[in-house]
Amino acid sequence: MQTLAVLMAGGAGTRLTVLSDRRAKPAVPFAGKYRILDFTLSNCVNSGIYDVAVLTQYRPHSLNAHIGIGKPWDLDRQRGGVHLRQPYQGSTADLDWYRGTADAVYRNLDFIQEKNADLVLILSGDHIYKMDYRAMLRYHQEKGADLTVGVMNVPLDETHRFGIMTVNRNMRITEFHEKPKDQDKGTLASMGIYVFNTDIMVQRLSEGTAEAPRIDFGKDVIPAMIAADKVYAYPFEGYWVDVGTIQSYWETSLALTNPNLNGSLNLHDPNWVIHTRSEERPPAKMGPQAQVCNSLISNGCVVRGRVENSVLSPGVYVSPGAVVRESVIINDTWIGPGAIIDRAIVDENVIIGAGTHLGYGDDMTPNHAMPDKLNTGITVVGTGAQVPGGLTIGRNVLINSDRIESDFPAGVTEIASGETI
Amino acid sequence: METLVMILAGGASEDLSVLTLIRAEPAIPFGGKFRIIDFSLSNSVNSGLFNVAVLTQYLPRSLNDHVGVGKPWDLDRSQGGVRLLQPYLGPGQSSWQQGTADAVRHNLDFINEQHVDNVLILAGDHIYKMDYGPMLRYHEQMRADVTVAVRRVSPFETYRFGIVSVDGEQRVTGFKEKPRRSKETLASMGIYVFSTQFLNDILADGKLNEFGRDVFPAMIKSHKVYAHTFEGYWADVGTLQAYWEANMALLAETPALDLYDPDWIIHTRSEERPPVQIGPEAWVGSNLLSNGCVIEGIVERSVLSPGVRVAAGAIVRDSVIMNNSVIESKARVERAIIDKEVTIGEGAEIGYGVDNIPNRLHPERLNTGLAVVGKRAKIPPHMKIGHNVIVKPGVNESHFQTDFVTSGETI
Repeated sequence: MQTLAVLMAGGAGTRLTVLSDRRAKPAVPFAGKYRILDFTLSNCVNSGIYDVAVLTQYRPHSLNAHIGIGKPWDLDRQRGGVHLRQPYQGSTADLDWYRGTADAVYRNLDFIQEKNADLVLILSGDHIYKMDYRAMLRYHQEKGADLTVGVMNVPLDETHRFGIMTVNRNMRITEFHEKPKDQDKGTLASMGIYVFNTDIMVQRLSEGTAEAPRIDFGKDVIPAMIAADKVYAYPFEGYWVDVGTIQSYWETSLALTNPNLNGSLNLHDPNWVIHTRSEERPPAKMGPQAQVCNSLISNGCVVRGRVENSVLSPGVYVSPGAVVRESVIINDTWIGPGAIIDRAIVDENVIIGAGTHLGYGDDMTPNHAMPDKLNTGITVVGTGAQVPGGLTIGRNVLINSDRIESDFPAGVTEIASGETI
Repeated sequence: METLVMILAGGASEDLSVLTLIRAEPAIPFGGKFRIIDFSLSNSVNSGLFNVAVLTQYLPRSLNDHVGVGKPWDLDRSQGGVRLLQPYLGPGQSSWQQGTADAVRHNLDFINEQHVDNVLILAGDHIYKMDYGPMLRYHEQMRADVTVAVRRVSPFETYRFGIVSVDGEQRVTGFKEKPRRSKETLASMGIYVFSTQFLNDILADGKLNEFGRDVFPAMIKSHKVYAHTFEGYWADVGTLQAYWEANMALLAETPALDLYDPDWIIHTRSEERPPVQIGPEAWVGSNLLSNGCVIEGIVERSVLSPGVRVAAGAIVRDSVIMNNSVIESKARVERAIIDKEVTIGEGAEIGYGVDNIPNRLHPERLNTGLAVVGKRAKIPPHMKIGHNVIVKPGVNESHFQTDFVTSGETI
């Protein structure tokens, strides 16, 4: 059985605010040296799937640079390997951008058909999990299914965030509700992982009409197939997280720093290595005054201050007297002497001036501009921002990418919670 | 001007004791994630030299694995790239290589096939960052037959090096191999640029086997030999003490050897490992910690290679610990070099006591208080091990007679 994996990596991930304004969500750094997409790509190769297409649309440059020819995953191959697929003109009469997941696959149907794969495994590039897809592919064949959907049990009060399935005793899906408001549909949530028989998928995706479009797998394709085809649910039990919001990104990152909690996502497993493209960097250096506990520290970091419950990506510099607490600091950020970072996500190449306190006080006012995205007390700083020294910055503050000293209000030393710069 | 780089990586380096019982010196881990040969290889590619040969003879397997096709150094090329050259049999070729010059002589065929103007000969066991470009240009300008890189050393150290004397134009006029006392303090770094034709000519004399001992004295009078002075950091880590000191020197606030320079990256073959995980009760002042380490205990002034685990309550101080070694809880490791995949059992102590009795079998190698533990050795729980002790690779519980190994012993 030949399987082609198709990774959906084109979404904008707007809930991650500035983390995804310069890059697609799958390219957002995670757990220090990784990118979110590394987990799915590594799952593919660790499952023996070496034929992988990555569909991009939104801000693909970071993703293109990261994946390249696929060397870190051994996907630089003569046959198969990784293919980055960009939107292009001329595939159909339609000159529009991809309108949804199914539409993106539909526009790449000729590529998929050329592959002559029996099965197509559709994956989402923005989830953190370790999964052997071989078990699911076997299950799909044993059931004689046309489509198998990866599902897992979620808490009842979260069912409104997911596509929820109802199944019969044989795990055949009988009903599908996209993000149901009522809590009576059960707790089996779709993980956005689908195994299709290629010919059925080609047929169903080509059937779209104006009245019954085939734009989204969750909204359109699966509901339509439940009636006509054999659609089964494959229950997955293991660690799986959608890091699509600032709060879940932060929580999931910090959970990795506590060795007692992270039994479910073990990055040290030699039998399931998560591969990534690493820059060559020297080992992490701890200065004589360094105090570090409960943290993940990547290569190339220099820690001369204090780091607690935090995740540091490669090349972060923590000056003497600086304190980093419950924060995620991304590549090559410089934290000045005496600066305090508390409950923050700080993107790449940021400069935090000496003595600045980021994440100050008990005022939990949600961000005024995006109260729905930034309301749990986490302050976020975008790529390349230069935060002046001596400032006190509250919570739920958003500092956009590339902000420099002159973008901050003159003569002000305090930025209240909920502000946006 | 085309240049071929020849890295000499075949010597046995017995002074490094158990570290070189299982591998060639250039393959020894250094500075956490690197190997010693990474410095010469990275210097070559950073100098724009992409035609490199590595000459092996002594225990080459680890080196072969590490260098591979040269990918980490961008040396996997269709033109040039890196070649690992092994000793071989053939007509007129029936003995092992007898020294540095003999190793190059064995490979003259290869050199002449490369059609290069110059051959840059490097030692695979030195730690330094050097742009070879200026030296090669100097060699051309002087129309030299040979140019040797030299550096000033302290008068107390001349006995460790080949010492050259030069005239006002930097032309080499004399050479003494390891003089006890010398007025001259310019030491050869074992880095030579030979014009290819001259290299062929001089090696035609089959009796000259070592560059320092034989070739150099033979050519100074009759040929144009120039010295090129290098002023940066350079360390020969050929003894246990020098190896340990060079590692410890990396811990300085601004070390003489800057590994963090983005314009002169030291490349290495890295296994994919997660970031360092530091636990709730850990204490980590003044260290280099590599990816994949899990630190639950106290680590101070030490260099840890990837995948080292230090359990809660364990203490590591002033030590070099190589890949995947495990320090169990309440164990204590002080002033030690611990090779790969070693287990230090619960409550065991390495570097116990305050005496300094030199190692009895090798007092000349181990006399500064360091303890050395070979690859895959298992130190039983609560074992106490003194100073200047050598624990050989693969030693386990059955090799220990008592629960106290006094200073100077070898297990």
